[in-house]
Amino acid sequence: MFVSSRDYVYSKFQEFYNDPSTAVSIPTSFGQREFAYLMFRERFMVRHKRFENMQVFKNVLARNVPSDVYHSCAYYENPDLEMDKKGWIGSDLVFDIDADHIPTSCGKIHDEWTCQTCEFSGKGVTPEECPICGGDKFSVKTWACELCIESTRVETAKLIDMLTKDFGFADDELRVFFSGHRGYHVHVEGEVVRSLDALSRKEIVDYVTGLGLSVLEKDLEEKTVKGRKRVGAAKNFVLHDYGWNRRLKVGMEKFLLTATAESLKNFGLKNNNLLKNKDAILSRAIAGGRWNSVSGVSVATWLKLAEQVKCLESANIDTVVTTDIHRLIRMNGTLHGKTGLLKVELPLRQLDVFDPLTHAVAFKKGTARVLVSDAPKFSLGGATWGPYRNVKVVLPTAAAIMLILKGRAEVVNDV
Amino acid sequence: MSLESVFTKNDLAKYPFLKETAQYLSPLDLQIEDFINSGMSQILDHAMERATSAIINLAVRPLINEQGTKYVIKDTQKEILSFPVALMLVSATENSLIKKRYALAEAKQASNELSYESKEFVFKVALDFGWQIIFTSADSAFDFALYFNDFLQNASRLHDAKWKLVNSKLSEGNVYLNKRDVVRLLQEEIKRRIEKRLATVSVSKYPPEISELADKLKTIASEHIGQTEMEFPKVVIQEAFPPCINMLYDAASKNHHLPHMGRFALTAFLVNIGMSSESVTELFKSFSDYNERLTRYQVEHIAGTRGSGTKYTCPQCSILQTHNVCKNRDDTCKRIYHPLKYYKIKSKMTQLNVPEKIDTTAKT
Repeated sequence: MFVSSRDYVYSKFQEFYNDPSTAVSIPTSFGQREFAYLMFRERFMVRHKRFENMQVFKNVLARNVPSDVYHSCAYYENPDLEMDKKGWIGSDLVFDIDADHIPTSCGKIHDEWTCQTCEFSGKGVTPEECPICGGDKFSVKTWACELCIESTRVETAKLIDMLTKDFGFADDELRVFFSGHRGYHVHVEGEVVRSLDALSRKEIVDYVTGLGLSVLEKDLEEKTVKGRKRVGAAKNFVLHDYGWNRRLKVGMEKFLLTATAESLKNFGLKNNNLLKNKDAILSRAIAGGRWNSVSGVSVATWLKLAEQVKCLESANIDTVVTTDIHRLIRMNGTLHGKTGLLKVELPLRQLDVFDPLTHAVAFKKGTARVLVSDAPKFSLGGATWGPYRNVKVVLPTAAAIMLILKGRAEVVNDV
Repeated sequence: MSLESVFTKNDLAKYPFLKETAQYLSPLDLQIEDFINSGMSQILDHAMERATSAIINLAVRPLINEQGTKYVIKDTQKEILSFPVALMLVSATENSLIKKRYALAEAKQASNELSYESKEFVFKVALDFGWQIIFTSADSAFDFALYFNDFLQNASRLHDAKWKLVNSKLSEGNVYLNKRDVVRLLQEEIKRRIEKRLATVSVSKYPPEISELADKLKTIASEHIGQTEMEFPKVVIQEAFPPCINMLYDAASKNHHLPHMGRFALTAFLVNIGMSSESVTELFKSFSDYNERLTRYQVEHIAGTRGSGTKYTCPQCSILQTHNVCKNRDDTCKRIYHPLKYYKIKSKMTQLNVPEKIDTTAKT
């Protein structure tokens, strides 16, 4: 019997949601959440759902077989009514770190884009405009490589450091998840954050990304009644021990300890005194607070260095997700329609040792024979596969599903 | 809650929005009619003075008296009572500009007075608003540590760089502040409390005496604060678009892809300056993912002709900055916080044929 690749993956998703051992986690405040899912075959989104209990919801998933499942970050009086009538009560504070909008060390060389206008295609980061016809619409075949995921892990670690040290959240107030594709989600669910409005959340986003950071006192002067800033305010470069000022100090130290003439140049810092007077900078300026005591390092150079360090120390998050107080977020323990991997929670303090490409595997049994058109070398479930180009191979179910969903393989029907 | 007083009667006269005022007032059980009919008309008069002064001077009473010394409230009872009555008068105008201005005046008055109070007193007022605030130790460089969400609730409304969380002294969840900063944040909190009270004062029908006074306030307001609602030219002046909107408009007309936030900002901007839903829908027609029914639905939703009926306003500059939609800032951008304000200024200049660049420092 001929089985299409889509049908094959569908049957596996169906098995997954019908398996009694499948553990989809129950979100907190279940009855106040809106649920939504994307139908695997029909490709439309079912939204504004509310469920009596988890069992009813599980039955719906088993019957409908969605490719992706979401719940609202928000809590509502009536989650099943249309948007204007839902009655917003509050919302979790959610962060999304996704390789899609982060420059990664792999250069996205594994992503393939095709211009929708002239069909010209290339590899790497999708260009703004097609180099051939100037069109700006592309279809993109992405790939989740280990370097992509590692880049998002680094950003996630910086975010967590800010949330715990600066915002004072305890470890057990933060929940960290691998998204099931190429990134991480961080959820804060406490009472404290629920009522934050969109503007306050925007300020938190700006904090995390370092947007609008000013360190000179004169830039922080309030405008006078006449709309002018007070003249003669101090132009000295000084950093205090709180918030971003502290981060800049720690970051400067880290940066300078390993800095070379080459790395400084790469960051547009041409002042050689930063290297020559490194010891004086570390002891007198950063530790001692005497920023004007280092010869050859002016306020302008300090500012440039601070700007560079800000870029290194800020966390690259998707700004829209955190500020949207009605956002839908992928549900923990459900499958990602682009990979067949699970969204999985990981212990906060194990972020650096947790291997998502092992723990997020949902389909652990069986194999499938597939024709792989093009796939780089990849790891999954603790083993390494590929690279492949136009070959028929037998792969573990999880690897076969991932390649099919990524548009890089088809099920082989000949026996 | 303890019934023990935290504040004196004189404190309540100065800061009548405090919760304790209710404890003081409720045994008196006063009704609107009492102020009209009984011998308490002087309170009605004083409330009218309070509201009038708020509208004209943006202050509810002088800080300094005619002799140049600190103004002292003589009749504390009258002063306290004039506050709820003034709220009623302002509420009876049913005019959102007057209500906003009154709340601002009360808040400014309070913050002016608070700046002369002790740290301990400011602390008590902050507690009245339920703030999670602590006195820092004596050797600290700062007076207070305020929990970040109480800080954000108020500071996120202020535009100066100093109030951005990224520039605050945040550590372990607390923002370190001195008394002056806390007083400024309290001003926002007080304004919100009063705005909320003005929104909830509900009297189905005001006695004619009250309506008459409310009409008087409206006349005074129209003479003194004029029309500050956004007024835009009848025709769309594209030369007056801010740079961010220009880029989005350009991209849309060239059939380029727009991120969601960009599309929302552009749509909301255009419907707010008076472009019809049809014209905006037309603009998006060239998009390859264009779906007329869906686009029309979204545009009409933003325009408020569909759904809840709320017309969405264009996001303010700082939101567009967060989402990287703010591009090519120019000199006019430095003077405004909202793309619509930019349009208002620029369209006026365009209509009057005023040269584009205005030196802001050369003005008196």
